[in-house]
Amino acid sequence: MKIGRGPATVIGLKSRFWPSVRIPAAPPLTRSSREGVRLEAPFSRGAFLFAGRSENIFRVMRTLILKRSHGMGWRRLALALALLVWAQFPAGGQTSPSQQTNAERDKTTPLAPRMVTDEVGRHVEIPQPVRRIVSLAPNVTEMIYALGAESRLVGDSDACDYPPDAQKKTKVGGPFTPNLEQIVALKPDLVLIAANSGNRRETADALDLLHIPTYATNAFTIEDILKSIVDLGDVIGATEQARTVTASMRAKMDQLRTKLADTKPAHVLFVIWQEPLISIGRNTFLADALRLAGAESIIDTRQDWPHVNMEEVVHLQPEYLVFAPDHSSEMATHLAALRSTPGWRDLKAVQENRVAVVSDAINRPAPRLIDAVVELARQLHPEAFANAPCGGGASHANGKAR
Amino acid sequence: MRTLTLNRLLWICGALLAVLFVVVVLALKVGAVPISMTDLAWNLVRVIVGRDTQLSSEYGLIIFGLRLPRIVLGIFVGAALSVSGAGFQALLRNPLADPYVLGVSSGGSFGAILALIFLPYMPLVTPLAAFVAATATVAMVFFLGRRQGQLDNTTLLLAGVITNSFFSAVIIFLMTTLKGGEDRGMLYWLMGDLSTPLAASVRWMFGLGLIIGIGAIYTTAADLNLITMGEREAMHLGVDVTRVKLVVYVSASLLTGLAVSVSGAIGFVGLLVPHAMRLLFGSDYRVLIPTSAIGGAIAVVVADTLARKVVAPTELPVGAVLAIFGAPFFLYLLRRRLA
Repeated sequence: MKIGRGPATVIGLKSRFWPSVRIPAAPPLTRSSREGVRLEAPFSRGAFLFAGRSENIFRVMRTLILKRSHGMGWRRLALALALLVWAQFPAGGQTSPSQQTNAERDKTTPLAPRMVTDEVGRHVEIPQPVRRIVSLAPNVTEMIYALGAESRLVGDSDACDYPPDAQKKTKVGGPFTPNLEQIVALKPDLVLIAANSGNRRETADALDLLHIPTYATNAFTIEDILKSIVDLGDVIGATEQARTVTASMRAKMDQLRTKLADTKPAHVLFVIWQEPLISIGRNTFLADALRLAGAESIIDTRQDWPHVNMEEVVHLQPEYLVFAPDHSSEMATHLAALRSTPGWRDLKAVQENRVAVVSDAINRPAPRLIDAVVELARQLHPEAFANAPCGGGASHANGKAR
Repeated sequence: MRTLTLNRLLWICGALLAVLFVVVVLALKVGAVPISMTDLAWNLVRVIVGRDTQLSSEYGLIIFGLRLPRIVLGIFVGAALSVSGAGFQALLRNPLADPYVLGVSSGGSFGAILALIFLPYMPLVTPLAAFVAATATVAMVFFLGRRQGQLDNTTLLLAGVITNSFFSAVIIFLMTTLKGGEDRGMLYWLMGDLSTPLAASVRWMFGLGLIIGIGAIYTTAADLNLITMGEREAMHLGVDVTRVKLVVYVSASLLTGLAVSVSGAIGFVGLLVPHAMRLLFGSDYRVLIPTSAIGGAIAVVVADTLARKVVAPTELPVGAVLAIFGAPFFLYLLRRRLA
């Protein structure tokens, strides 16, 4: 099939979420992808709307431009010069900041774009260096900040609230229904999405149609998250930072593992949502986070976010309930209410107040997750943290306080 | 009822087209990113006379890459749903009939969800599956709706309603047993969504199907006028009722299937617009079909513009906007008519 101008291919790679995707296969050395996008996209998307004569004008112009861009060196030089001149004298009379950045970009010599395969198996051509990033998922935004690339983050979603500075970035709408116009207006070199936390495949498809490079992360385990950070750092040119971030995460994980070496995993119910009761399945990063925290979910299902029957929970009697509320201040009244709620009040964990409340950072596959996991482990296995100034947990193995 | 002259028809359609044009220009202007229309016109002129080699990216990508395709999609979907609504109302002789009454939308959604489960995320497969399933549902309802070899309105309506409930239930069953992740896109799709740009090939196919469907229904317009008086009477007046019903049934289903396959189930427009056009221009199907097509386009484009703008940059479901603003307007027309 063909999308817009230029050859496009369908790649039959299968992955868990998005098995195949079209890529505009622009020859990487004849023209930069950025140039290509600016040249062909407006016409290829709009041309069919012009009937008759004006359509022909557009068609002629389009072929002219495309031929030139594939043509000999001096022609491309002339075109680039024309572009430069055009960018210096904006058509509308007023100089908008975005046009200026466009001009700046044209002045510098662009590096060859990089072809990468993202975490859902899509092939993405990413211009180098990446200067303008839009993130559509809160966890990816956190990763960008952790990688120290926040100055290049020009826009993020309504849900991106951490770190607080992320709230000040230009908002492009909710992660689920981002506003494509707003994304286009930000002129991103790269749009980052998270395939399994709130973003839709249709968004990536739409951005593909608009020739905006879109890279999807897709983490199912903590190892995946670490790999995401490394790959992302690689793509945006923050390799060193990524190494530092993941090394510190790994150090925390190792420390935690040593501490918990002799504890038995606690059987917990992770409450994602209470009415109706939604918990986690075995293939989610949260299940992996629980394992790291010395716990295992009483719910074992291949569904990622299963609706759980309260009877089943009463039958299984979790040792701990785990909540990760947005507003931890309301948790006390909430727990009091649970003691009088049918079903919940029959749980020994509720009666004996064995409830772990952790920061909602645990819900995001991002660097902060590890801290939330440590916080959880501290509540589930206080004895392992009791007198261990440095990670010698093995010396006072006493199992779990039950 | 005033006699219909070609002049009157052209006047009415011309006026509506003028309204549609104004609406489209306004819709082009309104959006999350502010855009100056004069600058756009100036930019266009410069490109055409060759001063500039290309449109600036705001105008190029946002106007021609995003807004215009979306507006065109809105026009297509609005026209398709309104005309099929008008068709089904005549066919079933039931003012409550709308394009989804015969189970087309839930059938289409069922096809889409099956595609998502078995062929996850192949481009174009989901709309195609939705269209095939919608058409298959319609064929099934057609056979269920026959009594003694004749298409019986009440049986057809009941068969459609039951099929609708059945597929809705199956969809809910599938969505709760899905592994996760997949159902979220589906959910939005069920509410109706115009925000995803279509590949050009799909747009051409849609346009072609739209013209064929509306054209076929329009050829039966004079016969539909008689059929609304009663099938027996129409038959006595020389109308081939069976053929007309088949043509309208197939074309209206095709139109609905097309709309469902690209935009999900956008409700209300197929019910509201034909009635509004009846109240404004009378119930002559020769006027009603073209005015419904244009009126539906206007309604959907206006609703979608509001959906884009009201809480920008977040978007509202276009179906909800249609119902919120359409219902009071419809009631106003209804009361004015009774007064």
